[in-house]
Amino acid sequence: MKKKVSKKTNVVSRRDFIKTSAAFSLAALASPTSRIFAAGSDKLRVGLVGCGARGSGAAVDCIRSSDGVEIVALADLFGDRLDKSLARLSRKFDDRVNVTEDTSFLGFDAFKKLIASEVDLVILATPPGFRPEHLKAAIEAGKHVFMEKPAAVDPVGARSIIATSELAKEKGLSIVAGTQQRRQYQYIEIMKRVHNGQIGEVVGGQCYWNWGSQDWHFEQRQPEWSDMEWQIRCWPYFTWLSGDHIVEQHVHNLDIINWAIGSHPVQCLGMGGRQVRTGPEYGNIFDHFTVEYEYPGGVRVMSMASQINGTTERVGERVVGTKGSTYTTRAYGYIEGQNAYKYDGPHISGMVKEHADLIKSIRDGRPINEGRHVAESTLTAIMGRISAYTGRALKWDWVMNASKLDLTPPRYEMGDLPVRPVAVPGKTQLI
Amino acid sequence: MKQAKKPRISRCGPQISRRDFIKSSAAVSLAAMTSGRAFAAGSDTMRVGLIGCGGQGTRDVISCLKSSPGVELVAMGDLFKDRLDKSLEKLKTKVPDKLKVTGDTCFVGFDAYKKVIAGGVDMVLIVSPPHFHPEHLRAAIEAGKHVFMEKPAAVDPAGVRSIIASSELAEQKGLSIVAGTQRRHQAHYIEVIKRIHNGDIGEIVAGQCYWNGGDMLGYWKWYEQDSSLYGMQWQLRNWPWFTWLSGDHIVEQHVHNLDIMNWAIGAHPVQVMGMGGRAVRDLGNIFDHFAVEYEYPNGLRIMGMCRQINGCHNRVAERIVGTRGIAHGKGRIEGQNPYKYEGKSPNAYVQEQADLIAGIREAKPINEGRQVAESTMVAIMGRMSAYTGRALKWDWAMNASQLDLSPPKYEFGDLPTPPVATPGKTQLI
Repeated sequence: MKKKVSKKTNVVSRRDFIKTSAAFSLAALASPTSRIFAAGSDKLRVGLVGCGARGSGAAVDCIRSSDGVEIVALADLFGDRLDKSLARLSRKFDDRVNVTEDTSFLGFDAFKKLIASEVDLVILATPPGFRPEHLKAAIEAGKHVFMEKPAAVDPVGARSIIATSELAKEKGLSIVAGTQQRRQYQYIEIMKRVHNGQIGEVVGGQCYWNWGSQDWHFEQRQPEWSDMEWQIRCWPYFTWLSGDHIVEQHVHNLDIINWAIGSHPVQCLGMGGRQVRTGPEYGNIFDHFTVEYEYPGGVRVMSMASQINGTTERVGERVVGTKGSTYTTRAYGYIEGQNAYKYDGPHISGMVKEHADLIKSIRDGRPINEGRHVAESTLTAIMGRISAYTGRALKWDWVMNASKLDLTPPRYEMGDLPVRPVAVPGKTQLI
Repeated sequence: MKQAKKPRISRCGPQISRRDFIKSSAAVSLAAMTSGRAFAAGSDTMRVGLIGCGGQGTRDVISCLKSSPGVELVAMGDLFKDRLDKSLEKLKTKVPDKLKVTGDTCFVGFDAYKKVIAGGVDMVLIVSPPHFHPEHLRAAIEAGKHVFMEKPAAVDPAGVRSIIASSELAEQKGLSIVAGTQRRHQAHYIEVIKRIHNGDIGEIVAGQCYWNGGDMLGYWKWYEQDSSLYGMQWQLRNWPWFTWLSGDHIVEQHVHNLDIMNWAIGAHPVQVMGMGGRAVRDLGNIFDHFAVEYEYPNGLRIMGMCRQINGCHNRVAERIVGTRGIAHGKGRIEGQNPYKYEGKSPNAYVQEQADLIAGIREAKPINEGRQVAESTMVAIMGRMSAYTGRALKWDWAMNASQLDLSPPKYEFGDLPTPPVATPGKTQLI
């Protein structure tokens, strides 16, 4: 920790710090908190919870998105991750990072400490398994939130996110989710046309996240790591942490389908397995899924997600209507059929725009709340995973209201934590 | 073979005298030379031979014998004597008056099919494991026999090409080939597809088909290896669980549903992208689940899904989505032109035989060879895509793929167990 602070080039003096804090304490007392940003001139103080690659990236995106934004606090489970993140941020944005030793927090309760510190906005970028608890704490404390997708890893978590989003609404707080595509112009233009009836009635669709990247964020276990430390450092490979790749990654595409159709699915039937990533070092996630989602009106959409090296890659979405079909990816978007269209405007990164929109909403006092829709997209992915794991067809209402699945470990401490078995369709119980 | 002959005679049902046999054979030889024309009056006896005397072969031949008057079973062939004997026992109780097999016309071994074909038959039923269909069909057509052939038609692109070549030869010779696709001969499918082709659901824009069911171990027995059952004979006894023999369950079973999609759309797919694996199964080298996206002409994408895992949600169906409605294979259309088939649906196993025999007798041969070869190829492509993890184009699979799963030689003895496919590593051949 000491070493880290010494590296920092832009430490604010303790006095300055207190002064600024006082201003914000007042702000926090005033409800809604966003009102003081109306002039658009005040500094927005941001805390980052989860200092991994995505968390650091989100902090960079946040800084780049708007003037008057400072990163003032960091929280992570591991000192080395926090140090690395701080070094990266400080190197890139010397004058926009004001993290002190007092605002660097480590451990399972680091998020609480960060939320209790003088921040206006928190970025939640830990492994998804922690998201519901972190969001709840942030909203209860009156903080605006940027949270990475997915919102949860199980139905209990998704319900928590929805409850917290409702609380955020009451409190006038913003929640923006890192779904990225929702802010890319080609998506916005194409979805506008879908909703205007340019492809007629939607009758089918497909979405895909098939790519290689079999070792995506893989961490080789070190001898000194406990079970818990290993699983958290290698989080994408454990369902309780990532939700499995259908939830962690493919949620992007499912989110687009929900957006296009204007609804979540009513039921699903999925399959999948572990054909290549079979070793214990790969935890307990699958490496391929195919799920059929049925939306209201009998609209069936196929979703495919795989993480196997050397296989054909396809990432995108297709929505089929009675008068045409759309095809969208992060690089382009077009419509074929009676109202053919091709987006040829500029392309932006949704990752920066989502922060810009969030910060503007806070400053304008017009909170954006994406909590429910990201919870629904997340639950869409979760139900696909549960269906593939168990081999059972599932109804949305059951998953949303009746499923008791809660993947939380017995306790949060660095120690023993047996890896839950890989799911076996037809045997894994529906909970 | 010679040693096996004697005991078998005693089991060979109602026996015709040697003289009768020769007489009938002569008549049939004439018939064979005139390519089905001898049956024009509908009165002559049709003599059939069965190649592959397992459960399906036995059921198919019973359906065949019951489907039409004047049909007799005169020859049988199998790789294993016990299977042939068991089949005979069943036939004796089910169709005693139509069983005209003698000890001289029961054949066992890898060349049994040749002997059945040469055994004075007008028509053969090819119900061996799918791997053997291309070779058996070619021999039958070259010998001028009409054919009933179980689906699937083949297990690899080399086999599919062979089936198509044999079908073309059958066309030239005026011979019939009917495939055991069942649904093509079921009234409710025929009525629904007719309406699709008439435009009742508008333009087809999407579709799904499924064969999600159990592990099939209650249907097919699994034989453990031992000192006498190993290698080739062990794999043959367990044919459904080896890709080189069955084509994997996407080919062996799901072909039924894929065949309906081709029929409804009136085309084969242009490309495919699939995935699958073995989540539960540890027998043989086949997968236990597949999900495949097929792209047909004009960008139409449909999904094929099949699974053989116990305790999962089962669904066997076809659904074709058009701009004006949705058609269900089970005999229903919803949308602007709703329809429900309410008539009877005769037993498809019997109906396909009746249609075949009527076609032969009326000298209007039915030739489903290309159609079943294409549906089989759809399934094979799906399997190849799932095994390799690669998207494939129809033209490549049909014209360029060198995949041929035939073993080095057909004889009992050692034969290494082929590996399970690994997507991303298994080579596209």
